[in-house]
Amino acid sequence: MLKTTNPTRPKGIEDLLDADLIARITPLDITSRKVFAGKLKGERRSKKRGQSVEFADHRPYVVGDDLRRIDWNIFGRLDRLFLKLFLEEEDLGLHIIIDASASSDCGEPNKFLFMQKAAMALGYVGLVNLNRVAATAMGAAAGGVVSAVRDLRGRRRTHDLSRFVCGVTPGGNFSFRDAAQRIALTRRGKGVMVVFSDFFFKDGYETGLRLLSGHGYDLFIVQVLSPQEDSPTLTGDLKLKDVEDGDTAEVTISAPLLKRYKQNLDAYRSQLAAFCAQREITYLSVRSDTPIDTLLLDYMRRRGVVQ
Amino acid sequence: MNLLAPLIAGVAAAIAVPSLLILYFLKLRRREVEISTTLLWKKAVLDMQANAPFQRLRRNILLILQLIILAAACLALGQPVLRDQKLKGNRHVILIDRSASMSTTDTGDKPASDAAKGQSRLDDAKDEAKKFVQRLREPSLLDVGSGDEAMVIAFDSTAEVRQQFTNNKALLAAAIDAITPSAGPTRVSEAFRLAKAYAPARLFVENQGFTGGEPATIHLWSDGRLPDQADAFTDKTDKVVYHAVGKPATGNLGIIGLRAERAYDDPNQLSVYVGLQNTYPSARAAEVEFSIDGRVVGAREVKRPAASAGNPIAAVPAAGAGAAPTAATQPISNASTGGAVFTLDRAEGAVVSVRLRKADDGADDAFAGDDEAKLIVPSGRRHAVAVVTSGNLFLSSALTGLPLAKLDTLSPAQFEAVIKSGTAGQYDVVVLDGWLPPVKPEEAAGGLPPGRYVVLGNVPTGQSTSANPSGSSGVRDLGKGPPAAVVDWAQDHPALRGVSLDPLVIAESRRVELLPGSPARVLASSDQGPIVLEVAVAQMRAIVVPFDIQQSNWPFDVSFVVFLASAVDYLGADSTAAVSRVIEPGSVLSDRLPSGARNVRIQGPDGVSSDLAAAPDGRIIYGPVRTTGIYSVSWQGTPGSNDDVKDGRAERKYSAVLLDPFESDVRTRETLNLAAAEVAADMSETTGDRSVWTWLVLAGLAIMMLEWFIYNRKVHV
Repeated sequence: MLKTTNPTRPKGIEDLLDADLIARITPLDITSRKVFAGKLKGERRSKKRGQSVEFADHRPYVVGDDLRRIDWNIFGRLDRLFLKLFLEEEDLGLHIIIDASASSDCGEPNKFLFMQKAAMALGYVGLVNLNRVAATAMGAAAGGVVSAVRDLRGRRRTHDLSRFVCGVTPGGNFSFRDAAQRIALTRRGKGVMVVFSDFFFKDGYETGLRLLSGHGYDLFIVQVLSPQEDSPTLTGDLKLKDVEDGDTAEVTISAPLLKRYKQNLDAYRSQLAAFCAQREITYLSVRSDTPIDTLLLDYMRRRGVVQ
Repeated sequence: MNLLAPLIAGVAAAIAVPSLLILYFLKLRRREVEISTTLLWKKAVLDMQANAPFQRLRRNILLILQLIILAAACLALGQPVLRDQKLKGNRHVILIDRSASMSTTDTGDKPASDAAKGQSRLDDAKDEAKKFVQRLREPSLLDVGSGDEAMVIAFDSTAEVRQQFTNNKALLAAAIDAITPSAGPTRVSEAFRLAKAYAPARLFVENQGFTGGEPATIHLWSDGRLPDQADAFTDKTDKVVYHAVGKPATGNLGIIGLRAERAYDDPNQLSVYVGLQNTYPSARAAEVEFSIDGRVVGAREVKRPAASAGNPIAAVPAAGAGAAPTAATQPISNASTGGAVFTLDRAEGAVVSVRLRKADDGADDAFAGDDEAKLIVPSGRRHAVAVVTSGNLFLSSALTGLPLAKLDTLSPAQFEAVIKSGTAGQYDVVVLDGWLPPVKPEEAAGGLPPGRYVVLGNVPTGQSTSANPSGSSGVRDLGKGPPAAVVDWAQDHPALRGVSLDPLVIAESRRVELLPGSPARVLASSDQGPIVLEVAVAQMRAIVVPFDIQQSNWPFDVSFVVFLASAVDYLGADSTAAVSRVIEPGSVLSDRLPSGARNVRIQGPDGVSSDLAAAPDGRIIYGPVRTTGIYSVSWQGTPGSNDDVKDGRAERKYSAVLLDPFESDVRTRETLNLAAAEVAADMSETTGDRSVWTWLVLAGLAIMMLEWFIYNRKVHV
């Protein structure tokens, strides 16, 4: 919650990915609930060779999944909902978006560092599986996009991705709506889009998410909250100042106030989750103290981002 | 609960409580903190601050707790005290009985181990009295004079103020601590009079009501063995609280009487009577060990039946020559008394000592003060008598029949010569027949030279001067009167014991009159006034028969011989002063040594000697005597007729002995019958003022800790 006083900035890939993590995430691959036709021939079999899609696996249904992909035969047999997963047989676009606003540079552990590591790990998974990887940083710049990198493919482009991730410095304020519009206009092809942000946008997240969803992209949003935001440790009589717009709020921390704050936070998260469920967006809320391998190997795999 | 300083509490509350409330309204200087977003906080604060500030206060538990802390602090400033209803007065008089029976080592309901340590009733009473003092109300911070006051009086047969009214608890406790046990009997009435004397008089002043302060509460720590309790007067407004110490069931077998007598016809034969009293509920046996001058000469087993309602006390042999002063011998219900007699041949004087050896080794004998008694027995010497007469046949023949050591018949001129030569002291008693020796006014004692006289047919008058206040006998001679008949006589007086004056007819009376404040006492009176008087001034004692016995039929009556013998015996015995050689513990040793005694020293039973200053006429005063035993006074100079001489110093012994059936009866009484009221023992723990401000402060601290805890709970959820 508090602005990180002396945040550690990653200098290179070794600060973002360690060998152990690499070893654990290398077997992963990006998946999509939608099957897309890629532009280039990849390592995969094309669905165009036959009418049927090669069946890969089943996974349990989670809220927000497309109902059309439920295996009703299994439901009839087991009375439980499972989704059918299909092997992507063409190259898959992976677009990673990180929020580089001042509010991301807060919390302990630092939320932005967490986003950088998560983006790098995910991007690495995409690269080693020969997917088309693009990355965009939203921040205080014209149009809301600070910098972007695109059309990376293959393991050797890992360093390009890491250079991009390390080069982004968080700060300032931006309009999510503008940034989303810009990204939606500039992206190409089809694939998976993962957005890392705290989604605390004073002008609302609805329009932006609406712009990003659809148009051939399977949208995942990961709401990153610092542990302090999840359960505040503030005490005393405080004047809270917003790092982005300088807005202040005078509070006397008390149990009822904290209770009320948590109620508001829960309500905010459930609103966001409900919004995403309506629009076939997969929503995931993580704390910045979550280990990256847990995020990828557990949370994201369960939600079908990777497998 | 009372507040000693309600004003301070009110002022403190009036300042502190509004201040606290104002603090709650004040805007805080807030710490500025940068956070990622105020989005959720603003919403939360808006929800929280939807209400007005007063409603913030409404449910603020911290404010309520702080108000409670403040209230406790303000109340503590008010010095609250919890008062017991029993402490009504501001003034308390603490009376502590230190008489012999208070040395009994039975301590109420305390465990036996305490008794084994020798905790006596007096120790118990002192402990309780000190506890009581600690519970007295403390003066408040600002008004120092507002606390309870108490005074301490210790009493046995006399009462003394050990500490005047004060609210200084240390002084009171020290005064109580300083009370030592005495071996004396108990007289509570003087203590009550003393307590009344020190309490300020309570006067009713018109338009003002009562003045002179609160009536005092008298707290009496005693075992209730108070023979004169009916003489203890209290006002209606006085409250008497009786704190009984000891156990009502404590029995005792003790010596209550010791008396030595010589046979009238054979002075060498000495009889010693020992009186015992048993207050145990069962029969008790004891060996009475009898010793003379420290050597055991006899022992006798004495068994006393159990004390019971059907066994009222038998009359203890009445006090006589050489007997103990058992004036307090009154029937004590339930006690069982009896005695033993030892007879032996002994002409010399001796210290007779009697000790009780209990059959059970005295294991349960809680009171040791009456297990031994000592008595000084004078030697069996007979009296030396001089008869100064111009020739009275009746007188000479009446005296010749008496067993006297010496009987000299002198003419007035011869006796004058004896006085002049200074050897008048050789005669114990001088019988003056119708003649009075001339005496200088400054040397006169009751109109006569110092000595013991039987005066017949004359009246010594004398003159009191400022230099010699005892010069007058207090009798005025009115000259010869008409014939007279006897009306009454003091049959219990030793000089008239066994004498019947009924047949006496006086042809020519001599009328005398007693002056106000006269040292004379009428022993027999006729219709014309006194016919036998006893004059007792400091250095002279005389039995005076004013009328001329030859003008009456008395010389022919046997009663005259008996009277003369009794009078000589009485005066002579008095001169040897065996009676005065027994001192009751608690009283003052007062005696007259032969004039010219110097370098007087007294040695107590504990072996401690101290010097005494004798008055010019030889009078010594020592005491009050607190312990029993033999006191010996020695001096340089002429010994008295009955004194020993040891190492060139004359020596006279006195025995302080407690022979009091009331003191020997150590059963604690649970009710007192005072003159004005009956007071039941207050066995309960006395409770008094208890300062509670410390508890309030502690409660305030506890609430403060609770507040801190709640505050932390609130901010760290």
